[in-house]
Amino acid sequence: MEHALLTVNRLKTYFYTEAGVVPAVDDVSFSIQKGEIVAIVGESGSGKSVTSLSVMGLIEEPGKIVGGEILFAGKDLVGMSMKKMRELRGNQLAMIFQEPLTSLNPVFSIGNQLAESIRLHQKKNKREARKIGIEMLKKVGIARPDKVYDQHPHALSGGMRQRVMIAMALSCNPQLLIADEPTTALDVTIQAQILRLMKDLIEESGTSILFITHDLGVVAEMADQVIVMYGGQVVEQADVYTLFKEPKHPYTKGLIDSTPKIDEWKEELVSIPGTVPGPFEFPEGCKFADRCPFVMDKCKAERPTVTKVGKGHEVRCWLHGEKVVDLNERASFT
Amino acid sequence: MNYFLKRILEIIPVLLIITFIVFTLVFIAGDPVALLLPEDATTEDIAALQAALGLDDPFYVQYGRYVMNMLQGDFGTSFRYGEDAMLLVFERLPATLELAIASILVAIMIAIPLGIWSATKKNSSIDLVATGAAVLGKAMPNFWLGIMLILIFSVTYSIFPVSGRGSFAHLILPAITLGTGIAAEMTRLIRSSMLETLGQDYIRTAKSKGLRTGIVVYKHAFRNTLVPVVTIIALQTSTLIGGTLITETVFAWPGIGQLLIQAVNNRDMAIVQACVMVIAFFVIVMNLIADFLYQLLDPRIRYK
Repeated sequence: MEHALLTVNRLKTYFYTEAGVVPAVDDVSFSIQKGEIVAIVGESGSGKSVTSLSVMGLIEEPGKIVGGEILFAGKDLVGMSMKKMRELRGNQLAMIFQEPLTSLNPVFSIGNQLAESIRLHQKKNKREARKIGIEMLKKVGIARPDKVYDQHPHALSGGMRQRVMIAMALSCNPQLLIADEPTTALDVTIQAQILRLMKDLIEESGTSILFITHDLGVVAEMADQVIVMYGGQVVEQADVYTLFKEPKHPYTKGLIDSTPKIDEWKEELVSIPGTVPGPFEFPEGCKFADRCPFVMDKCKAERPTVTKVGKGHEVRCWLHGEKVVDLNERASFT
Repeated sequence: MNYFLKRILEIIPVLLIITFIVFTLVFIAGDPVALLLPEDATTEDIAALQAALGLDDPFYVQYGRYVMNMLQGDFGTSFRYGEDAMLLVFERLPATLELAIASILVAIMIAIPLGIWSATKKNSSIDLVATGAAVLGKAMPNFWLGIMLILIFSVTYSIFPVSGRGSFAHLILPAITLGTGIAAEMTRLIRSSMLETLGQDYIRTAKSKGLRTGIVVYKHAFRNTLVPVVTIIALQTSTLIGGTLITETVFAWPGIGQLLIQAVNNRDMAIVQACVMVIAFFVIVMNLIADFLYQLLDPRIRYK
């Protein structure tokens, strides 16, 4: 079997704040195959964005990767030199962000910002970069790309700017694209367009996507594999069909049940009781214990371990036995 | 461009209002005749001089005459020197401009690297030293720093001339005296606006492209802090043109500041008026230049 493109193994990213240590990512493992779309789902503060920034090597003080490894194309990104990391970033490893309105520098033209990575990574001159840049804008469905190329970000709508971000991220044909809630800030109609665009583009190029979202609808639309995160940990991971059909973790079930369905009549929307605790308020045992309707005594006392419940289906919950999965096997669950 | 034409035309009423305020203040301050005549002058002498200078006319007549003359390019004659007041101011203007520009350059050369540096290395020892230096620079009075510089570099080591204007060497100590004070404030401003900019989403985007830290900091972040930097440079330059009096005195620098204070002491109305007009003109022009630069620096800013 081929090696995974990205293997995150027992990653721990902690933030050393004045109030104490926040384990934003706490023992997270998953892998992404070539051409695959993997979604990380979770509420705000679940550690999904920190996970993606860890992969990009963009964790800033007071945050720090304190354990685990991130294998990208066989090389460990943790502890890689700044210089080597920069060569990957924007090149083989690209990222688009949640806020298209603020993610582009307001004082430089679209072309200037688009050409930057093309010139840097593909060693093109200004004219060649312009040609590639305009080509990319055309690819992401921007009308009159040669005009937009010379415009400044404030002249474009949110959807257009996100298209520019995608063009920028894909301009160097990355192997992995990390998309951190790329459609959250957009109108629903634009959202659908952007998702379709991303899917089309990567089908063409074979790029893998790590898709961060809190929207299960988007997950169902996009993902091959799904990782559910809660409190900095992976609570469940499975392929998208299994996850929606047989969710095992009470949190996953809660998330799915609280999404309204078009063919179901409900008097009231179901919601998961309580809110995500603050960084220092997680219970000692299972982090979800306080909000879990199926909570047992054991859950409050002991952190659950990962249990394998099916092919490529793992869950971190005491409800599903105590069979501990060998962590070394986990990378190959697909 | 219509916007700037409008702004330039607006200068005229602003200057008119300024003449009125200054004229009124000088009028209230008292009669210059008493200072012009010897102490034993008779009442008749005083009355005669007042009549000759038109100072016995009512306020509105004097002011009206003043404005009418001004519109014809005549800013009045100095009682003291018997010369055209505006010409006297123009004689001093190059010295003032020279010192102002040199001081701003000193401030920029210190503040920009130090501000960026302490922002990128926030809370490091460099940042602490820079912050300490900025507080010290702000707290040190100019006259004290000027005298200390003279003591060290002119008296003890004879590297620079003690005072006066002439060669480039004459310019260095007064420019450092004024420049360091401004640099202190500017460093704080650049540091805080750099810190704000460095936290923006587009900085993360720039980093995610694999750009070198230098490009992220100097191209993407610093370019966005230029609007506040231009603002403070414009403000400080206009302040320098009007108010370098203390430093001018310490270094016997023949600028407008000295001329103005002497004129105030002598109640030499025409020179006070001419000085204030020139200073006001520069304040307005500096603001105009700053507004114009904003447009170039930030494409989102467009005046209509």
